[in-house]
Amino acid sequence: MTLDIIIAGGGRVGFETAVLLDTRGHDITVVESDDDRCDEMADEYVATIINGDASNPDILRQADVDGSDVIAGLTGLPGQNLAICMEATEMNPEIRTVARIADRDQEGYGQFVDETVFPEGAGARVAANEIEGSDVRTLADVTGTLDIMEIKVEEGAPAAEKALREIRFPAGTLVISDDDGERVARPETTLAPGKRYVIAVEPDVADEVMNLLRG
Amino acid sequence: MIGMGAMIGAGIFVLTGLAAEIAGPAAILVFLLNGVVTAFTGLSYAELAASIPKSGGGYAFVREVFADLPSFVMGWMLWFAYMIAGGLYALGFAPNFLELLHVYDLTPPPDQVGAVALPVVDAAVPAAVGLAFVAVLGLVALNAVSTAASGSVETIFTLIKVSILVVFVAFGATSPMFSSAEFQPLFPGDAGALSILPAMGLTFIAFEGYDLITTVTEEVKNPRENIPKAIFVSLAVTVLVYLAVVGVAIATLGAEGLARAGEAGIAQAATEFMPTGLPVIQNGGAIIVFGAVFSTLTALNAVVIASSRVAFSMGREEQLLPSFGQLHHRYGTPLVAILASGVVMLGSVALPTQSAGNMSSLFFLLSFIVVNGSVIKLRRERPDMNRPYEMPYYPLPPILGIVLNLILTGVLIEYLLRTDVLALVLSGSWILLGIAAYAVYTRLGSSDEPSEAAEPDEPIPQTDD
Repeated sequence: MTLDIIIAGGGRVGFETAVLLDTRGHDITVVESDDDRCDEMADEYVATIINGDASNPDILRQADVDGSDVIAGLTGLPGQNLAICMEATEMNPEIRTVARIADRDQEGYGQFVDETVFPEGAGARVAANEIEGSDVRTLADVTGTLDIMEIKVEEGAPAAEKALREIRFPAGTLVISDDDGERVARPETTLAPGKRYVIAVEPDVADEVMNLLRG
Repeated sequence: MIGMGAMIGAGIFVLTGLAAEIAGPAAILVFLLNGVVTAFTGLSYAELAASIPKSGGGYAFVREVFADLPSFVMGWMLWFAYMIAGGLYALGFAPNFLELLHVYDLTPPPDQVGAVALPVVDAAVPAAVGLAFVAVLGLVALNAVSTAASGSVETIFTLIKVSILVVFVAFGATSPMFSSAEFQPLFPGDAGALSILPAMGLTFIAFEGYDLITTVTEEVKNPRENIPKAIFVSLAVTVLVYLAVVGVAIATLGAEGLARAGEAGIAQAATEFMPTGLPVIQNGGAIIVFGAVFSTLTALNAVVIASSRVAFSMGREEQLLPSFGQLHHRYGTPLVAILASGVVMLGSVALPTQSAGNMSSLFFLLSFIVVNGSVIKLRRERPDMNRPYEMPYYPLPPILGIVLNLILTGVLIEYLLRTDVLALVLSGSWILLGIAAYAVYTRLGSSDEPSEAAEPDEPIPQTDD
């Protein structure tokens, strides 16, 4: 299930998000107003780039809001993110909206957008884990390039209702947990639709794994 | 590299003889002019591929720019073009393979085994067509159960092919036949200079490689420089190699001889002048014949991948049944897309080589027109899009590209009306079939859509550090 995603704001947060989504096989358009930043991103070749201010409706329209599934306002300015999300909803009522906020107590934004993101909060959680030096790690703070993801198996996906031993995952994939993380997966574990599995994948096969599990 | 592999690969071995048949010695001009025409489309591909980081080739770009139906038709046409190209390469493979066996005296000369030019004749059919059939079946099966050979292998293949051709040109140019070569009359008798136009249409398929290059752009570093470079370098090299090889082939075998040899033209030319009595390989011509067999097979492999890839992306975009866009749980390959492509390819093996070439060229011409159009549309609708590579003298190149491709399309259709109505009918019915399938599919799709769309995609927990 490939998503068409618009990311407004190609700074560190916006761009890193684009890179992650690109490795999972989604189609991304980034809107960024800074010329130099646009050139830098173009060299990385992960997204189509619109050069302009995303809160300007004429620019936003060029990102093809009508044909997109999700828009994420990830600029450093919460007010602008909110404006972008609401403009996009106006153009395409079906679109999911995600806005980056700057403070823990801006949860009121949730009334106007589908999801809020607080990058500093996530960063702090990672930093706290590192500082503590604990062996216990949350899914969120894997270092290196390996991704450990919790994935919900989609109804009708190619691997749904198949036992693990029947499924040929690409090399670089490891299914770690059984249904809802109660046991370690075994060859006879059957991937039930709607259940969640913890899976370790190398970034270059993440796309294929997503296809097998999500359809 | 993959694009060059396909462009240089099979086209040169299979099409040279056919082009000579239509245009005589002017076949050289045919390839040169085709290079010029495609250069404009090359600019469009370069601009699109540099600014839209998707590896899906023409279909992905057009999908980005046009509404559902036009992009569906584009994908549908490209898919067909690749599948028919597969049939063409398989048909080119067969006589060259027979020639290879002949070089080692295992079989009589290919024209006595099976006259591929006359596939209706009873006993002649099985040998060549059967071989082509087996080749397609084998490669489809191979691709269906395992993920395809990687780009680096393809690079080695291309280098092998180019060096074989260099050997061919070197021996040909120094052979006594070359020095006494006759290029006069340049245009055969009554047909005149215009006869090169249909030949251009027929051999246009040789330049499909552009689209192939852009299907594998995902791993490109520094696209601003490298994508345009890849496109133009491969165009230049391809045209050069074609000119040299066709020149030598015509000079040594003569346009008529070349035309008579048909799909195995280059291979036969080689057996004429390559030294014989070498150790191990016995016959110098065997290298070239081997090159032809090898090239047609690798090109066949490339289009099996390319065609299934188009079908796969169409499935992903929900323009074909979603099962086209899924990897098989056991084999990790887009099995449905590959099998569906294989079926049509197998069917196309029953066509005469010329018809296969004509149809494939026709669809590539049409899709190149759409690609040029989408550059213009994108510039108008999204003026602020970041374009790492901007073509010079916009909007001249895409307009010229459209006009020239339209002219060739017109000439090709006119030529087909006179000589090959079957190909034209098949092409037309493929498009109609597509539109009908699309209408049925969207009708059905819109009725189940709500239930599927009701469940939003769960976000996967993940942070960026």
